[in-house]
Amino acid sequence: MSLWATQVWLGLSIAVIGISMHRTGPAFRRHPFGTPVALLGLAVMLIRVEEPPSPESEVVSAAVDTAFWAIPALLGLSLVLSGAPLYWRSRPLPLLAGWALIAAGWLQYYSTSSPSVADALDAGGSLIGILLSITVFVLCVRTAERMTPQEPETEGLDEKERKYVASVLRRHLEVDDEP
Amino acid sequence: MSPELDSVATAFVGSAALTSMFVVLAMIGTLNHYHRPIIPVLGALMVMLSCTYLLAWADGTAVDTLTLRMTMSEGVFAMLKLLPFVFLILTALLLEASLRKRPEDPLLALLESESGSE
Repeated sequence: MSLWATQVWLGLSIAVIGISMHRTGPAFRRHPFGTPVALLGLAVMLIRVEEPPSPESEVVSAAVDTAFWAIPALLGLSLVLSGAPLYWRSRPLPLLAGWALIAAGWLQYYSTSSPSVADALDAGGSLIGILLSITVFVLCVRTAERMTPQEPETEGLDEKERKYVASVLRRHLEVDDEP
Repeated sequence: MSPELDSVATAFVGSAALTSMFVVLAMIGTLNHYHRPIIPVLGALMVMLSCTYLLAWADGTAVDTLTLRMTMSEGVFAMLKLLPFVFLILTALLLEASLRKRPEDPLLALLESESGSE
């Protein structure tokens, strides 16, 4: 395998690892590194000295073509999600900006692509493939969890721990710490 | 096999292999003290290798790194073809979310009535 082909797959792998690190959530120490690692992966995948061989060159080309409509679409979807009245009142500015970006995404998609029935069939095949892979993963996780021995029951809190928990609860409920 | 069916089968095999590769990479990215990754990683690798073998068998080629790269590439192409449909569904869902009225929250109403009575 040539160096440039390796670079494409290495970049994609780093990007996926970065996204996974970001998805661990803010409570994890590695969470802040998720976005830079994902961007590093994209840079490794896209910035190169020579054209990679086939089939990697087609992969990069197809990904870049998709990015032209997928990036405005993604930004638009997140703006609409933050502006729609889901958890709080509607915010018109992000909502309108989001819908404008979504419309731009669709326009870009239709100006560069011509969807066909064959594409829809391929997408169906792809969806079934993804579901099969996830099903195998879920079954493997279930097997691994069933093989894990159960931990013994946790002992109750001692007096010192009980006082500490009560103090934390009082502080969070904005009650004076002294009884 | 007809070319259409061949294309669908390639998309199926490619995306199954690529999703399994993503599963392995996600497990590397989220590895922690409580993970027991051996069985899930072995399962994902088995799917990847089976898909590569199937594609090599269908094309009449040897199972080597080129076939593995071809399988993964077919997965990328297939997933990119799926994206417009995902975008279509998300657009419809967000259109519904944008147009709906925010449901009344009984707790917020209670809070507002209490602050009004003070």
